[in-house]
Amino acid sequence: MQDERQPRPDEERHEFREEAESLWRITLAPVAWVAHFVTSYGIVALVCAKAPGLLGMTRGGLGLATLLALAVIAWLGWRAWRQWDYRTTGDYTNARGEAEDRHQFLGHAAVLLALISAIGVVYGALPVLLLETCR
Amino acid sequence: MTTRLKQTDGQRKLRDVEIVMKTSMAGKSRRPISAEPGRPRARLAPLVALALLAGCDGRQSVLAPAGADARVLDSLFWVMLTGAVILWLLVNGLFFYVMRINRGAMSRRFADGLIIGGGVIFPTVVLGALLAWGLSIMPDQRAPGEGLTLRVTGEQWWWRVEYWPEGADTPIVAANEIRLPAGQRSEILLNAGRVIHSFWIPALGGKMDMFPGRETRMSLKPERAGNWRGQCAEFCGASHALMAFEVVAMPPDDFDSWLQAQAAPATPPGDAAAQRGARIFAREGCGACHAVRGTEARGAVGPDLTHVGSRLSLGAGTLGTTLEDFETWIAHTGAIKPEVEMPGYDHLTTADLADLAQYLKGLE
Repeated sequence: MQDERQPRPDEERHEFREEAESLWRITLAPVAWVAHFVTSYGIVALVCAKAPGLLGMTRGGLGLATLLALAVIAWLGWRAWRQWDYRTTGDYTNARGEAEDRHQFLGHAAVLLALISAIGVVYGALPVLLLETCR
Repeated sequence: MTTRLKQTDGQRKLRDVEIVMKTSMAGKSRRPISAEPGRPRARLAPLVALALLAGCDGRQSVLAPAGADARVLDSLFWVMLTGAVILWLLVNGLFFYVMRINRGAMSRRFADGLIIGGGVIFPTVVLGALLAWGLSIMPDQRAPGEGLTLRVTGEQWWWRVEYWPEGADTPIVAANEIRLPAGQRSEILLNAGRVIHSFWIPALGGKMDMFPGRETRMSLKPERAGNWRGQCAEFCGASHALMAFEVVAMPPDDFDSWLQAQAAPATPPGDAAAQRGARIFAREGCGACHAVRGTEARGAVGPDLTHVGSRLSLGAGTLGTTLEDFETWIAHTGAIKPEVEMPGYDHLTTADLADLAQYLKGLE
């Protein structure tokens, strides 16, 4: 019979891996923002230099890329929101340094990063949508 | 070594120059910024006065727009300034309220709302709106011209100007003055000789940098006829501050006849003094650097002088155009405009200088 309080085999390693992944996850929203920015900037520069005729199509494509980036960020933000678990715990700051607190804190940070990344993507998309020419 | 000699030489001559300048002040000419050694305060005073006066008359002010592009920038400025003042008052008013008037604790809900609403949502929306507005007016600032094209090259420290009317194969060459037809958008292509300059007519529009070997463009649409001042807006060496130009917007018909006159070769010297001046011009080798179309002078190092007598300034917006100004400029070039390439011809006799001035002023 196994004692319930005994750790399951590899439980700590499992948990550690999950937290390490969560640490990576908080960077994903800013990464989506960076990818969107670099793609917009690079492709518009290339098209305007080499094939200005394709600008209309490019703007359409970048509009779709914007929606995609926002969808990815929204999904990451939603997952981070659940990880933060503010609704259930009511813990806004997670000041204590326990494993659960660290877990929720990473969610909190990821929510804020997702928010600012979404704003960044929208601001970055505005020139593509509003400037209709290469001028 | 020679440069240094030339400079000290020039400095010694400055007192003479200033005396000459003062006597010529009676005319329309403006005094150049003097660089008398050893008296920094005396040097600064006219500078400050000049800066203040320049702000008053609106000849070189973004706050006195006279061009379609400048008007847009002007409204952008006022909207943002007004918004900034309102925001400043709101934020500081709030500070004052919570720290002096109502110091009681506020509810957590209200505080959170204030931080998220006033600190995140409000600035995001305001900045987004400003960004969208700025982006929507940006392409108009670079609208294509409607016929006339100017090609302006920044040199140290003057402006090479070419007018290309629609369909022209050869340009009409001028210098140090920009004339534009009022009510029309003119295309302006910008380039630079050796270093970066920046072309700016604050009353008409935004500025655009000029790079050696890389063409940039802008367009300007003066709304009415008038006279303004432009200035190089990118530091380009010793006489950067003295690299300015007169800007004249003319009714389109007047502009066409003016341009036609500019295309014509130089007026032959009229009276005896001017004829003597023309011979001195040839004898001193001025034509090696300056062109006077219709004569032997074909140099392209310095400004084209074919119609220099019709311009509104000398030395790229530095001096006026009285006969005394011509004489001062020719004799003390380096003292008026430090490190300029043209040597001062102070070895000429007073009579020779007067004749030369007479000739050049007659090139209308």
